[in-house]
Amino acid sequence: MSAHGAVWGRVRSRLRAFPERLAACGAEAAAYGRCVQASTAPGGHLRKDLCAPEFEALRSCFAAAVSGKGGCVMVLEVQESP
Amino acid sequence: MLRPARVVWSLWLRPRTPGVSAGNGDRRNVASGGPPSGSTSPRTLNIFDRDLKRKQKNWAARQPESRKFDYLKEEIGSRIADRVYDIARNFPLALDVGCGRGYIAQHLNKETIGKFFQIDIAENALKNCLETDIPTVSVLADEEFLPFQENTFDLVVSSLSLHWVNDLPRALEQIHYVLKPDGVFVGAMFGGDTLYELRCSLQLAETEREGGFSPHISPFTAVNDLGHLLGRAGFNTLTVDTDEIQVNYPGMFELMEDLQGMGESNCSWNRKALLHRDTMLAAAAVYREMYRNEDGSLPATYQIYHMIGWKYHDSQARPAERGSATVSFGELGKLNNLMSQEKNNL
Repeated sequence: MSAHGAVWGRVRSRLRAFPERLAACGAEAAAYGRCVQASTAPGGHLRKDLCAPEFEALRSCFAAAVSGKGGCVMVLEVQESP
Repeated sequence: MLRPARVVWSLWLRPRTPGVSAGNGDRRNVASGGPPSGSTSPRTLNIFDRDLKRKQKNWAARQPESRKFDYLKEEIGSRIADRVYDIARNFPLALDVGCGRGYIAQHLNKETIGKFFQIDIAENALKNCLETDIPTVSVLADEEFLPFQENTFDLVVSSLSLHWVNDLPRALEQIHYVLKPDGVFVGAMFGGDTLYELRCSLQLAETEREGGFSPHISPFTAVNDLGHLLGRAGFNTLTVDTDEIQVNYPGMFELMEDLQGMGESNCSWNRKALLHRDTMLAAAAVYREMYRNEDGSLPATYQIYHMIGWKYHDSQARPAERGSATVSFGELGKLNNLMSQEKNNL
């Protein structure tokens, strides 16, 4: 891994942003999840691209989500001295 | 003897950076009638790339904050130490197979264990051994090829490393070989239901996105097979327990990153080299939808099999001879009367 340090670093930094971007797309992720879950019920048949529309919505939302939206907010607690 | 015990232990982890995929897979059925001890027949299973596992464990031990991934191994290490304390004996010489950073030794004391040998395949883990007051010797060796003579150790412990062993029957036979008569083996390994949420999510997402799926979680031994394996290796008086630990994570990527930090990444030969970002995204969405808790965290189940086996010795209790019973089961209801009668007769 040390030989491919640059590639590894780039890949890791992209992956590091995944949870935040996924959190911004909660509704689309839930819709996709529900679609896949429905196919696991008796009588459902899961095959390729069964939930393609939901996944496209999720992917476009994910691509549009900008990591670090809003910036960092530091909250300082100031205690009044008696 | 099976005593299933359900333990739910929740831990909310801070959001951390995600990592690449970890391991997945199916239950594996161990073939009965394997190779005899001391030889490697062509039918030996070769599932895991041990060289890669050594590299992964070395990498994990070298990480700057490797201690924050140790929570599971520390917990199981303390449970194994509890079981060792339950045995009312002192062990002058003990062996820890697949010790990692020595999670069991830190919970034991000098009175119980005289000298401790610790074995692992990753030298970085042995270099960063945790503090303990028992004199220890660290040996770099593979779990399947123990470099010790027969009848050496009073106690052999193994915590969460046997699930990466290729030839589990042979490893257990080796452990039995190095034990002294009336020695005991106390072990813990991951069981069949471990990480089933991750396995199912990845399977469903891969099927939907790519049309098929490949195993990403390594195969685990079934609890029935474990009893057979221990018996075949020569152990007596077996005890197999099941424990379940549920750890809550903020998301699937954090779970995968923790697994990688623990050194538990996938290393099976048939692993897929690449997990598409789309599939990871889909799997994270499916995991969240299917398995999330009320507070929004995602549970991950770790099923642990605890096993205890003894090496035969004449002093151990044996089943009674057939036909030597003096009372019949039909008189069980009158047991109190029978016992008081016996007391009066004496």
